Amino acid sequence: MRLDEGRPPHEAGPATGEARAGELPVLLERVARGDRDAFEHLCQQIAAPVFGTVRAVLRDLPQSEEVAQEVLVEVWQSASRFDPRRGGALAWVTTIAHRRAVDRVRSEQRSAQRELRAAAHTVAYDEVAETAQANLDAERVRRCLRSLTDLQREAVTLAYYGGYTYRQVAALLGVAAGTVNTRMRDGLIRLRDCLGVER
Amino acid sequence: MRTRRPEPHTLAGAYALDALTRADRARFELHLARCQQCAAEISGLHETTAHLAVAAAAEPPAGLTQRAVAAAVRTRQLPPLTRGTPSPWPPRRRAAAAFAGPAASTPADGPFRRIWLPRVALAIAGAMVILAAALGLASRSAQHQLQQDQLHSHAIAVVLTARDAHMISARVSTGGTATIVMSGREHALVFAAAGLAALPSTSCYELWLMGSGGDQPAAMLPPPQHGMTGPVLASGLKPGERLGLTIEPAGGSPHPTTPAILRIVL
Repeated sequence: MRLDEGRPPHEAGPATGEARAGELPVLLERVARGDRDAFEHLCQQIAAPVFGTVRAVLRDLPQSEEVAQEVLVEVWQSASRFDPRRGGALAWVTTIAHRRAVDRVRSEQRSAQRELRAAAHTVAYDEVAETAQANLDAERVRRCLRSLTDLQREAVTLAYYGGYTYRQVAALLGVAAGTVNTRMRDGLIRLRDCLGVER
Repeated sequence: MRTRRPEPHTLAGAYALDALTRADRARFELHLARCQQCAAEISGLHETTAHLAVAAAAEPPAGLTQRAVAAAVRTRQLPPLTRGTPSPWPPRRRAAAAFAGPAASTPADGPFRRIWLPRVALAIAGAMVILAAALGLASRSAQHQLQQDQLHSHAIAVVLTARDAHMISARVSTGGTATIVMSGREHALVFAAAGLAALPSTSCYELWLMGSGGDQPAAMLPPPQHGMTGPVLASGLKPGERLGLTIEPAGGSPHPTTPAILRIVL
């Protein structure tokens, strides 16, 4: 099931708090034609997952705010490139958000701070969940993550919330890179099936 | 040097999680463009990661939307993709740039010198095509390696035959001539060189994509064969980036440790 389509708004969590089923693609279509009101409305719908995702990866608040704003502007800029045949609108937006956050982290990988961070802790989903808004989706995701093997879950959450490459994840977990690759794919597939994501 | 690379298909999870380096990402996207089954899988995996994003949703700072709207008003929107939409890269040849020497105190990108070496360049390009074809035929004991090579040579062929492919040649300050064929459409370039100075076994040549986001390792050059080095594929190009070549300790470095002996504005 796509998050932004065919699902009652009360189930959609904060991401689409007031969005009606299928509203995001319609808003994006209007945004693509330069409709500022539609963009403002869209931002209200997507700001929470965009900001939350970016912050999970970057940690630093001012930087997260900066990147989240860049993501929103990128959504405005490239709204015409959204193709509903290739996936859901929210997935399109969160993919942009996550990629920008990860790009930012990696462009700064030289800094000793990042090295320390990598050594000092691993990013647990619970840590992200603690600061995230309580929402039904978080509960479902938490439940489904528990159905993964430990290695699958760690590989998926370290990559997504930690922003690490698979090679870095492999180093953190002390397993071969190839193993991590397989676990990431298997873990995501299991998560997908548990969440009932439409393929 | 072609390091052993994982099967592209097994990278689907890492790709959906943005756990690939830029170069790996570009390589996977090249594969994705030709694999419908993979595209469908990635779509489902992105819907899944969207759930991970929503689960991390957090109250945005006050005024984020207003600032985004204000910034958007000042930002021109991209046109929709249509058949024949030009790539963001200029389609025509650009001036090649080379450095006076490794110790030169000139600023990062200049001064440029226009260097035209059409005959050498064409010879190298021709050799690239032959080498690319030969890569897939090289006798290897492991079937896996053969598949990797075929994929590699296929990726090179894709760049060489891209509609917007163009060629740039430049001299390497420590000796030799480098030629690249790049395609903005494919976000990739093929690098080859002739007459590079021989290095001791403790050193190697490493290619970099240098842009505003820092210097990213693009590839390590294999040892020369009959005076020719490459072809080597570097993918994940972004507009405005430069290609750099440095000499690094054997095995390569995560960041350049010596001054560039070649820089090309892409």
